[in-house]
Amino acid sequence: MNDDILLDVRHLTHVFPLSKKIAVKALDDLSFQIRRGEIFGLVGESGSGKSTAARCIMNLYRPAAGEIIYKGVNICDPAQFRTHRKMLQTTRQLIFQDSSSSLDQRMKVCDIVAEPLKIHRIRPARGSLRAEAEFQLRYVGLDAGFLDKYPSELSGGQRQRVAIARALSMEPELLVADEPIASLDVSIQAQIVNLFRHLQQEHGFSFLFIAHDLAMVEFLCDRVGVMYHGRLVEAAPAKELFSSPVHPYTQALLSAIPIPDPRLERARQIRQFTEDPENFQGVLTEVSPEHYVLMREGEHHG
Amino acid sequence: MARVLEVKDLSVSFFTPAGEVQAVRGVSFSLEAGEVLAIVGESGCGKSVLCKSIMKLLPASAKIKSGTICVNGVDITGYKERDMNKLRGRLFSMVFQDPMTSLNPTMTIGAQIGEAVRVHEPRISREKLHKRILELMALVGIEHPEERMKLYPYHFSGGMRQRSVMAIALAANPDILFADEPTTALDVTIQAQILDLLRRIQTQLGTATVFVTHDMGVVARVADRVAVMYAGKIVEIGTAEEIFYEPRHPYTWGLMQSLPAYSKGKKTLSTIPGMPPSLLHPPKGDAFASRNPYALQIDHEEEPPMFRITDTHYAATWLLDPRAPKITPPIGGRSHE
Amino acid sequence: MGRKNPLAYFGKKCLVFVFSIFVLSLAVFYISRLAPGDPLVSYYGDRVEKMSPKEREWAEDKLGLNDPLLVQYVRWMENAVHGDFGISYKYKMDVTEVIASRLENTLILGGLGFVLIFVLSMLLGVLCAWREEGWLDRAICKIGTVTSCIPEFWLSLVLILIFSIGLRWLPSSGAYSIGKKDDVWDRIVHLILPVSVVVTGHLWYYAYMIRNKILEEVRADYVLLAKAKGLKKRSIMFRHCLRNIIPSYLSLMAISVPHILGGTYIVETVFSYPGIGTLSYESARYKDYNLLMLLCLMTGIVVILCGILAQMINEKIDPRIKATEEAEISEVKKR
Repeated sequence: MNDDILLDVRHLTHVFPLSKKIAVKALDDLSFQIRRGEIFGLVGESGSGKSTAARCIMNLYRPAAGEIIYKGVNICDPAQFRTHRKMLQTTRQLIFQDSSSSLDQRMKVCDIVAEPLKIHRIRPARGSLRAEAEFQLRYVGLDAGFLDKYPSELSGGQRQRVAIARALSMEPELLVADEPIASLDVSIQAQIVNLFRHLQQEHGFSFLFIAHDLAMVEFLCDRVGVMYHGRLVEAAPAKELFSSPVHPYTQALLSAIPIPDPRLERARQIRQFTEDPENFQGVLTEVSPEHYVLMREGEHHG
Repeated sequence: MARVLEVKDLSVSFFTPAGEVQAVRGVSFSLEAGEVLAIVGESGCGKSVLCKSIMKLLPASAKIKSGTICVNGVDITGYKERDMNKLRGRLFSMVFQDPMTSLNPTMTIGAQIGEAVRVHEPRISREKLHKRILELMALVGIEHPEERMKLYPYHFSGGMRQRSVMAIALAANPDILFADEPTTALDVTIQAQILDLLRRIQTQLGTATVFVTHDMGVVARVADRVAVMYAGKIVEIGTAEEIFYEPRHPYTWGLMQSLPAYSKGKKTLSTIPGMPPSLLHPPKGDAFASRNPYALQIDHEEEPPMFRITDTHYAATWLLDPRAPKITPPIGGRSHE
Repeated sequence: MGRKNPLAYFGKKCLVFVFSIFVLSLAVFYISRLAPGDPLVSYYGDRVEKMSPKEREWAEDKLGLNDPLLVQYVRWMENAVHGDFGISYKYKMDVTEVIASRLENTLILGGLGFVLIFVLSMLLGVLCAWREEGWLDRAICKIGTVTSCIPEFWLSLVLILIFSIGLRWLPSSGAYSIGKKDDVWDRIVHLILPVSVVVTGHLWYYAYMIRNKILEEVRADYVLLAKAKGLKKRSIMFRHCLRNIIPSYLSLMAISVPHILGGTYIVETVFSYPGIGTLSYESARYKDYNLLMLLCLMTGIVVILCGILAQMINEKIDPRIKATEEAEISEVKKR
């Protein structure tokens, strides 16, 4: 196995049963890899299975089929999960979209940030838990005055910073962020994305960034995967994906990003995309180095 | 062109247990027949409250403190609920952000559109109503209207629901349409479709539209004129070209620069430091001063008036005062590629 | 879930019901025998005091009270399945007959109370929601808080004190005056005080709940759209909001039945109203085991049935639950 690869998702399939007869396939044979120190972006429309993938990776859902290898451990295997529980719980961290509901409203910020350390009984490097929390807060751009506040007293951006500080207090190797900027304002989004970029460079953790804002993904991510109805239709380095998308769905998705320039924007043609099941058959094929597209053998898109 | 809406010095406050929240502070603007005015700003800047206050859709805790609202030359500021009912739907109508919640889940789409038609034509015959519903559904691009009108909202996707909401809003052929972030809750591919539909209908029916959004890309697609709001005030207003290519207010600069498209190839995105002030106790002077890298001494003491740049372009920043030091704007003066 | 086989659905509900009743009967059987007291007293009255130990044993044997509890229970169960619920120790006749003679009174009292609460709570709820934070709304919210803290027996006593003893307008006890069993007017006069207590004890709470349900609807986004299209407040309230709360209203009313029933029992006891409530109280007090068992079972059946009914209304009629389901299913079908 390649040492370089931190997370290897192989043929992941997840099904939500609606009733005894009907089930939704939220993930359908999803495979991708995240290397150490890489920012991998997962994009797609609502209901494309991005969040389900994140939850499977964080062991919140147990997938119906497939495996997830994290640091050589198959986390879908209960026995392996139990043996490596501590390592898995400390080195992977998750940030949700809406930190107003994912942070406990009755806990002070300093307790929220220090809670993971407390749970895993890790001796704080800076003396007390409070000092540790203060350090982490400063790191994400909040001063000590926030230590004794409650989440409800903070703005959306500040709450998201607290969630990041909490995740980073464990010095994770893999950070998974599920739409972390979707509910923030434009100017605050930029602040948080900058923060992510800065922290990633400092810590060198691997980062799975899930978003529907393609422009932000292009800016932040090294590699990007495009999902549609639970399948990965295209994966490539960010630059290449945005400059020369191959799959028709990717092309339609990228063509729909509005450009903040009236003349260009009005002249722009939006590619129509038909839900032709033909487009979603086949296997991921490498069309150029590192650039994978879902296609049938011998087929070439546009 | 006829002026359909004229708002002068409008102030709206919410009276909450914590005190008076000044959501809209002295806003003036006008809307010509058949144009699209986009109101841009971050959440809490008062853009949505502004629209709802014109239609008087705000909860009882909100009061119009001062200013006038004239529609087609008639002052409606003091209108009571009974008078407003006659205007809503016919004179102005509104499309809301979340199409998932803005339709009644227990009524068919056809019934909800029909209800909107009947409000203003109570004596319409059954056949005519039916025809009108089909017409409206076709107008907003819902295919197979005959079958679809019998369906409930839950049968519809987000984009379809937003189309239905638009059909309802357009049922009585209003002069003004307020669209409050109508595409924010939709996927990007659907967003483009809805924006184009809105633009098409707007040219077809000549409906003047006030389009509220936080997304500059969306503004670029639909707007003729743009008003930038910050902390309850319009800080800059002008034609779309003026705002995008010759912005004058530091907040507009910041807003444009924080878009990833602007920082293509750069290491970090430009940001506006800090966050918007609380409208419970708005700061003295220019509300943007504390986040403004170009702030002058006077910004912290006195609110800037609206300075005229061209006949259509106005901005509220002391930088435009003849006595202010000359600075080179970080953006503008360019025509993107 | 809506898509299931209806037979299986009702089968499951029935199973739950039967099991609940079984557990209830076991619990009542056991607990009633734990409490101190002498069941022989209710059968033999004062004679018990003069009985020799031998006579006592014979008497207990006769009533089957000497066997182990389990044996007693199995025997009771066997008879009960065949429709024989035993005799009442006190009345020396079939418990079913004893109850039948009292059931009518309770049904009149409880039924009247329920109908009044059913109608008035909706009416008050709409009035409150119509003028939210108006004087009526505030008053009802306040009254609701206060009355929900007043015990029913205390309220009954206060009313008796005022209207029966002080003003002498209304009778303080019974269901009818002696010899006037078929006099409708006399019955009504006797009902006024107990019904008022039952109603005032619960009405405000339900009116408040319904008010909140309506306001929840009023604050929904679709109301804003309805307003924006020019619909009048009245049309929005009646055509949209009320229609949408009917399922929750019905399920709320189904849940209210046991509450009102409980209130009725207490009120009956205070007013010495000859109904099921007084009977239950007496049977528990005098260890009239067979009577107590059947009364508890009957009450339990009503309570459990209402609970299941409320749940079914919630599951079946509430369009939002169905909506999300069908939406998901149609989504699946599309793929």
